This record gives sequence, C-alpha cells and structure tokens, in this order.
Amino acid sequence: MSIRDSVTASKGSRWLKQVKQSRILYLLLVPTFLMLIAFNYWPAITALYRSLYAWDGAFYQQFIGLGNFQEMFSDPIMITSFRNMALLTMGWVVIRVVFPLLGAELVFNLRSAWAQYFYRVIFVIPMVIPQIVTLLLWRFMYGMYGPINEFLRVAGLGHLARGWLGDFDFALPAILFVGFPWIDAFNFLIFLAGLIAIPSSVLETALLEGAVGLRRIVMVDIPLILGQIKLVVVLTLINSIREYQMILVMTNGGPGWATMVPGLAMYQNAFLYGRMGYGSAIGTTLFVILLGLTYLNMRYVQSEIELKA
Amino acid sequence: MKRLTRDEILKHTALIVLAALTLFPLYFLIITSFKDYDQFIHHFWEPTLPLRWENYVDAWTEVSGYITNSILYATVESLCVVVLSSISAYVFARYNFPGREVLFYLILGVLMIPPVLMLIPQFLVVRWFGLLDTRAGLLLPMIAGGQVFSIFILRTFFAGLPEELFEAARIDGANHFQLYSQIAIPLSFPIVVTIAMLNFVGTWNEIIWPLVVLSREELKPVTTGLLTFQGQFTVTSYGPMFAGYVLASIPLIVVFLFCMKYYISGITSGALKI
Repeated sequence: MSIRDSVTASKGSRWLKQVKQSRILYLLLVPTFLMLIAFNYWPAITALYRSLYAWDGAFYQQFIGLGNFQEMFSDPIMITSFRNMALLTMGWVVIRVVFPLLGAELVFNLRSAWAQYFYRVIFVIPMVIPQIVTLLLWRFMYGMYGPINEFLRVAGLGHLARGWLGDFDFALPAILFVGFPWIDAFNFLIFLAGLIAIPSSVLETALLEGAVGLRRIVMVDIPLILGQIKLVVVLTLINSIREYQMILVMTNGGPGWATMVPGLAMYQNAFLYGRMGYGSAIGTTLFVILLGLTYLNMRYVQSEIELKA
Repeated sequence: MKRLTRDEILKHTALIVLAALTLFPLYFLIITSFKDYDQFIHHFWEPTLPLRWENYVDAWTEVSGYITNSILYATVESLCVVVLSSISAYVFARYNFPGREVLFYLILGVLMIPPVLMLIPQFLVVRWFGLLDTRAGLLLPMIAGGQVFSIFILRTFFAGLPEELFEAARIDGANHFQLYSQIAIPLSFPIVVTIAMLNFVGTWNEIIWPLVVLSREELKPVTTGLLTFQGQFTVTSYGPMFAGYVLASIPLIVVFLFCMKYYISGITSGALKI
C-alpha cells in the first residue's frame, strides 16, 4: 500500500487512462449505485440525523439534539420494550438452537437413509408456508376457541382456558412459544449439513473408543460442528433483536404494552402518532446495538465462516 | 443388538412426536378449511365429510387479487435483483479497474444497515418521489436492498470460475455481454436460482413494508391482504378464512416444489462456504 502511495504521482496520468478505458465497467455499475444512493445511503443518513429532531414528517421540525434519546430512556413503554426484546432474544437463542440441534441429531443418528430423508422433509415443510399464514394460524391457536383452549377443556382443565395473547401475564411467553417445538427449518438444515460433513472415519474411531449416544454427541459432534452452532447463534441473536413483524401480527404490542418491542414502538410512533423523529431515534438505537453485536461477532466469533447477515 | 434396536425405537418415537407437533397447525389449517360452522363446532379435531369446497370458492373471490399482486411483486423483484446483481457481481469479479475495492466495500457496507433502521427513511424517500401507494414505490427499495446480498454471493461464485474458459471465449471473439450471458450465468445457474428464490420468498413474506407503503386495496399483497381479510370474517366462518390461508400458500409451495433442491443446497452450503 505504501509503495503504491509513493508512486501515485507518477502514475496519475496512467490511472486516468485506466479509468477512461474502464468506463464501460463503471457504466454497468451505475444502475446498482443509483438504486443504492436513492434507497439506501441517502435514507440511512436521513435516519441518523432525523433522530436529532422533533419532527412530524411534514411541517413541524425542530432540532432537539439528544432529546429523543433522553425521552426514550425515561419512557416506561420503551423501557418495557427493551426488556421484552432482551427476554425474547434470550429465550429464542436458547430454544431455536437447542431444538433444531436435537432434531438434527435424532435424524442424523437414524439407521435407515429412507427415514432420514422422510423426517428431513417433514421438518422442512413449515418453511414453505408463508410466514403470515403461520402467524395467523398461531394467533388462532391462542384464541378463545383455538386448539390450545379446546385441548384444556377436553383435558378437564377448562378453568385454565383464556385468550392467551390478551392476557397480561401470558402474552409474552405465548409469543416465545410460537412455532413450538421450534425445529426451525433453516437452523435444522445447517446443523444436519454439519453433522453429515463429519468424516465417517471420525465417527468410527469414536465408536471404537466407546463414545456412543449422548457421550459422542457431547465429545465429538458438538466440537466438530461448533462453527455451525456459532453461526446459528449469531443469526438467531440478530434476527431476534430486529423482530417486530411477528409481534405486529400476533398482538400489536398488547395487551397494553405487555409485548411491545422497540421495532414495533418505532413503527407506531412514526406511522400512527406522526413522530418521525422519535421513531428514527429508536431505529438508530437498534442500529447501534446491532452494529455492536456485528462487531463483537466479527472480532471474536467469526473465524472461517462468513455471515449471511 | 437388542439395546440398539430399543434406541432406534426411542429415536423414532421422539421424532414422531416432534414431527406431529410441528405439523399440527398445518393439519388443523387444512381440515378446518373444508368445514362449515357445524362441522367445526362438533368435530373440532378430526377431518369431516362432506368436504365444503364452497369455502374455497368464497375465499377465492376475496384473496385472488392479493395473490395475483404477490406473484407479480415477488416475480418482478426477484428478476430485477438477479439481473442487476449478476451484472454488478460480474464486473466486480472478472475485471480490474480503478476504485474496484472502494466501490465493492461501499456495497458491502449496506449489509451493515438493518432493515429496521431503513423503514422510516425509505418511506420518506418513496413519498418524496411521489411513489406512495404505487407498485414502483413498493418494489424499488426492495430491489435496491435485495441486490446487495446477491452481489456479495454472486461475486464469489463468478470469481471462482476458471479464467481459461473466459480466455478461450475471448479468443473466439466473444464480447463482454457474451462472456457474461453464455459463460458466467450458465455455470452459476444453481446459485442464481437460489438467489431468485430467496428474493421471491422474502418478498412474499414481507409484511411491514407493504403495510406502510400501500393503502389501496387493489394493490395489496397477500400479507397485508390477509390481515384485512381476517377482519372481514365473523367467528362463524373459520372455514372460508382458512381456505383463504391455504390459497395464499399455494404459489409459494409450487415454487418450493420446483426449486427446493437448489434452495436447500444454497442455504446449507452457500451460507457457510462463501
């Protein structure tokens, strides 16, 4: 780099010539960059500086410095939102890693190849259903006349039946429970691919050494698919923090603000209460949190694997 | 030997329970979509005869517009992303030109910006362009964002293709466009299909963005359409409502039927080896 720098001056004209020669290449990149400037760079900058304004998105605007952020951290709705986000994230990171891993191990250890294929297809089926349908189905499952309550009535526990998503104590756990038993197809497939990639000689050696069943899983499998596990943990973490689409459909943050999360609060402030500046500040805060996590991930977790962010 | 077979039975039992629980909502969706109110009340758990096909007829009149819109949006979005990103990725992968690294990092940087930050300002940009409540207003930001990850993946693939192929074609007089369309694209076909699919599925599942941009009923895709649709039915008409859900799922299922293999190999190997 430094050598190149020192000879830049003499190369100036050659550089210009190269640029001229490559003009067709730049031309080919123009559509991509026009789109990015209009819909990514410019909006991103807007988002950051608008978070310093009190702004209704139209006529009223006033620079208030960090006022939005101050308000955010004293707003009980926002405090609950961040708490909910933290709880859901912790819950999801555990269950959406453990259960797909359990499923993948069970399938991987089946002896019949046909049965392996069969269960793999079964666990992938939910992936082909549009997310909105899955969410609306779960909303129905939790409803007063949904299968969960019907089951309780059949089991003689009718007094426990309730509208789960409308209950202050149960709404948040109900959100966490969506998708039970949480064999997330993407995570499941990543784990299964990792297990299949373990050389059979390693497994044979493990068998000879007497490492079978749970012992082999802990001593051999998990260390060998650690890369996949880290990847899935990081992706689940990032996705959990920015999840609000699901909560919008399931409860819209209610009852009260029992299931509110920051992303949804951003949406509501901006598009229902016309508080674009405050909404932007919430968005900026989420951005900073995610950026910090991405940095920690690249610094400490990600080694040989690249991220599908 | 006996112990091993007992293990095998245990594993199968566990898997059957997990599979049954995973598929239960879908089972319930399908059986209920064929029931009238009476069947729903009296035979809650099990399938019933006769099948009420009229539920599907009722639902179709409600959701066909949304489905057409979603097919249009998802197709246009994924095609545009594939075209735009494959051209850019090809340029980055196979040519050397001043500023290549800087420009590429400018694109990669977009991956760092989470969609949640972009919701408000993208809405404002679309409004500024006067594109609120139009198809273009919905699609342009999705294409802009969608191309980034695709460029990232395709560039790696194009860069891995052996130079001799391109050299040979160049000697035979192939121009830039022929190199791109007749060598790079055909050789990367599986990953191109995967990218098209990822975008198709992503667009089909997008809820918040169309909710914010579109308010005209005739422009709504399946996602926001179903949210309204849900409201139009009373408690007594779960059958047609669920039939609507099934109909809204069919196009995505068809796409998966054709391209599942690409998709799975794409997410399992692609996500790890890039």
